Amino acid sequence: MKLETSFEDDYRSALSEYAERSGEAGLGRAYELGRKAMTERKGLVEIVAIHHQALQRILREGRKEKRNGGLLRASADFLTESLSPYEMAHRGFQDAVKALRQFNEILEEEIKRIAYAVHDEAGQVLVAVHLALASLAAELPDKQQQIRELEGLLNKVEQQLRRYSHELRPTVLDDLGWIPAIRFLAESVSKRTHLLIQVKAAFAGRLPGAIETALYRIVQEALTNASKHAKATRVLIQVRREDGTLRCSIRDDGEGFDIRATHAEGKRRGLGLIGIQERLNAVGGTLSINSAPGRGTKLLIRIPLEDFNGDSSRSRR
Amino acid sequence: MAINSDQDIVAARQSGRALAAELGFSATDSTLIATAISELARNIVSYARKGEITVKTIPGSSRQGILVIASDDGPGIPDVLQAMRDGFSTSGSLGLGLPGVRRLMDEFQIASQPGRGTTVTVKKWKQ
Repeated sequence: MKLETSFEDDYRSALSEYAERSGEAGLGRAYELGRKAMTERKGLVEIVAIHHQALQRILREGRKEKRNGGLLRASADFLTESLSPYEMAHRGFQDAVKALRQFNEILEEEIKRIAYAVHDEAGQVLVAVHLALASLAAELPDKQQQIRELEGLLNKVEQQLRRYSHELRPTVLDDLGWIPAIRFLAESVSKRTHLLIQVKAAFAGRLPGAIETALYRIVQEALTNASKHAKATRVLIQVRREDGTLRCSIRDDGEGFDIRATHAEGKRRGLGLIGIQERLNAVGGTLSINSAPGRGTKLLIRIPLEDFNGDSSRSRR
Repeated sequence: MAINSDQDIVAARQSGRALAAELGFSATDSTLIATAISELARNIVSYARKGEITVKTIPGSSRQGILVIASDDGPGIPDVLQAMRDGFSTSGSLGLGLPGVRRLMDEFQIASQPGRGTTVTVKKWKQ
């Protein structure tokens, strides 16, 4: 005889008791069992399996005279009740996904605003500095050399600002699409970080705006991970269309990581991956991650394009 | 009715389910109402030890609905907004507890004063 009863045993005896004599106490017990299962991190499918096994055993051991119709009904009610805590969690998840989606939209707006401030507003100040320098040059003919150097530095600042601004929210993304945009991004990140990035795209069509933005942000996040956290030296981005699905893989030769542990700890990289996952949720895509310490990281993104032909003739706006 | 023990919780669930049946709520909604009552009763028992749960029809409305009031004279909640956030408590991080109750019901109100107790009022309308 066992000293401690297992969850399965508790479930079965509660279900059996409820089948014998229905009543709120039995349903209350079902709810408590469901709640306990949740706090023990048992999955929904697991509970259904436990229920099914319990029901099978009750049927096997049950007396012949018992009406199985009544048992079936009781068993359904019991299962519904034990799953009700999961309903709460499910609704919570839906709320969270909605909030994240809104957060992404706000973020995108904010990024546009910052990109504008960096490029246009800071750019105007730089123009004013250029003009001031020009008039200074007219007054100080013997300082021409230094002033030209200053102008050279100013031009560099301007270039950098433009680059940052485009990286934040490239106009090329809207004008030419996400493939040219990630090529541009790859080039820009390479210059800044010395990461070797190769983009191999066997697909050039335009996609709906939401998908293109999602893909751009995902590649951006992956490149940040590769350069900052994984200390990679090379990244290969491959894009192709297979049947009705867009496949984009991003592979780096960095440190790699333990996927489970990173998710559990909620670290920056874990959050980044959750962000990628959420962007994919919003466009119906999936993410699979292949990584292990010392083995690099490969992200594979799949987005179904069933409702979309992907031809460039379709306008995004 | 007084909430002090597991039997009391069962009785509160029972009255919620009976009223739901009487008003013609679906079986699914009856389950959700019973679940919300259980969560509210659980909160009473674990934070205030004892309290009260009232289940009745929503008065003064042409629509039919169930009103559940859970009140206690317990320690109260210092920061109600925080308590309503997912992940504040262990059960909250799973979407259970008060945030869970809010999602199961159509309307949710909470009033709490530290040292004087908490009252949660929830409503569910018949679909």
